[in-house]
Amino acid sequence: MTIELFKNQKHVFWTALLLTIFIFSAGILLGFLIENWRTSKIASLYQQSELDLLDIRIQNDIYSLSEIDCTKVIEENINFADRVFEDAKLLEKYSESSRLSNSIILQHKKYDLLRTSFWINSIKLKERCKTDYHNVVYIYDYQNPSLETEAKQDVFSKLLQELKDKKGNKIMLIPIAGDNNLVSVDTLMNTYGIEEEELPIILIDEKIKITNVENIEEIEKYLD
Amino acid sequence: MFIALYMFFFFIMIYIRNKKTLFNCPKPNKNYTLSVITPAYNEEDSIEGTIKNVLSSSYKIEEMIIVNDCSKDKTKEIVEKFMQKYSNLKLINNNKNLGKAGSLNKGINIASGELVAVIDSDSYPEKDAITKMIGFFNEKKVGAVTSAILVKEKDTFIRKLQSFEYAIIAWTRKLLSYVEGVYATPGPLSIYRRQLLLKIGGFDTKNLTEDIEITWRIVYNGYKAESCPAARVYSIAPKKISEWFKQRMRWNIGGLQCINKYKKFFLEKGMLGFFILPFFTLSLCLGLAGLGVFTYLGVTRIFKNFIFTQQTFVAGTQLITSEDIFVTPTVLNFFGIVLLLLGLFFTLTGLGIIGERKGGFRNIFNVLFYMIVYLALYPFIMFVSILKLSKYKIQGKKMGWMTK
Repeated sequence: MTIELFKNQKHVFWTALLLTIFIFSAGILLGFLIENWRTSKIASLYQQSELDLLDIRIQNDIYSLSEIDCTKVIEENINFADRVFEDAKLLEKYSESSRLSNSIILQHKKYDLLRTSFWINSIKLKERCKTDYHNVVYIYDYQNPSLETEAKQDVFSKLLQELKDKKGNKIMLIPIAGDNNLVSVDTLMNTYGIEEEELPIILIDEKIKITNVENIEEIEKYLD
Repeated sequence: MFIALYMFFFFIMIYIRNKKTLFNCPKPNKNYTLSVITPAYNEEDSIEGTIKNVLSSSYKIEEMIIVNDCSKDKTKEIVEKFMQKYSNLKLINNNKNLGKAGSLNKGINIASGELVAVIDSDSYPEKDAITKMIGFFNEKKVGAVTSAILVKEKDTFIRKLQSFEYAIIAWTRKLLSYVEGVYATPGPLSIYRRQLLLKIGGFDTKNLTEDIEITWRIVYNGYKAESCPAARVYSIAPKKISEWFKQRMRWNIGGLQCINKYKKFFLEKGMLGFFILPFFTLSLCLGLAGLGVFTYLGVTRIFKNFIFTQQTFVAGTQLITSEDIFVTPTVLNFFGIVLLLLGLFFTLTGLGIIGERKGGFRNIFNVLFYMIVYLALYPFIMFVSILKLSKYKIQGKKMGWMTK
């Protein structure tokens, strides 16, 4: 029976199957490794950002003990915001290209918390320093955006990037996913009257809500 | 992806194991008498060349029977002219149009040879092609033998692409023969045992690809089909895209008719049920699924880009920035690239083996075009064929030759 099987070569059906399973599994494993490498890259950026935020908060605490040097603190905050914004862009790219593992979602949530914490810090700082920079918080749909929402979010991202390029240190740009089931984010959204169905939304200085795409010049008026 | 990878390893493993015997041609252990049957319908442009080629074969042709299926051109006159020169050339004129299968059956019934070779009226076998094929009939189980069908003139781009396709088919058909998986014995040149054809009822007149159907029936009856790539026949391939599309529709509709006819033997009846039927059906399903996914992704991308562009104008921002150029590839993208490279290797290997890799790597653009664009059209043609078949079924129409 076995000899006959080998003689008529039909064993190739099974050997090809075994080889395919082996190579395919190796491919999947390699895929996991690539995605995990990307996640660990994000994780290491996150660790750095977390340390920086902690540093900023401690600085604020120190300044609260004495007279605060607002110019310096604001500069540090804006630098930090810019760096976290760059991290966010990389995180979004990796999230979009992630197919096998969900570990990137966890990293995203951690970043959302960090940026929320930074937002709160920035609100407090504005109250204390009475400065003229603007908090521009971009709350978007991360988990399951419709096609229309995705397109709108792409436009919002470009719009905010151009605003940042134009206004520089006049705006503190903070992007946060609004549908990651994080209690602190949900609470802040409730505080400022933002519903999940409204996402994406641009919130300027915790007062002005922009839900529809507007001309960049119109938005600039809110920031002048 | 898994199935594509499996098929790659499947063919490559058979090839590695058998590469020394691909072009082996057994010597005949007896003199088989052979009749050639050529059905013809409006073939005035090519019939002369076919007659000359066939009758100059190195194998003794007992008779060449041209079955003229009510041609409206000068096919009949041309054949009659050659009958004066060749005593073994015979002409049968059908009283009414019988179609290709019907014409072949008429020829089989009057043929006298032990073996019958079916040769299309636009095909030109090499001088020794038939001689090389005959020896396969030494094995009693062999009911049919087919050849390597190649494109005769590669004067247009579409014909060049078809020449790749034909060569790959010739190579893979030979590989399939090692596992008794030959699923078609095409019309340009295939030889059958005449008694077997008579026993199983001849060609199916209701099927548009009688050459596929007869092979399945031969396998169903416990025989096998062999492939002889050393025997080469050159066939005139469609010159225009519209002709090519029509021909492919005919192949697809015929394939669907075969699946429908033999579906009850799925995973039964030896290689027919365990390999040929699943292989055919899977190719069809995967192609259609691929077309569905591709269409969905394409439509959603267009829709998204439309909204994006529209809103970008409202926002007054840049449509494209330097950041958009750098994309982060997904794991699936990597898999796709690996499959493309494997496919390229497979295609170039096949073309090299069959001797169609002329121009070396200068031809690489054509090969890539063949792989990425030409093959991607298959599922679309299949989809149109299903629609057409359904329409004809609903209206109860007869499909005819679908070649002219």
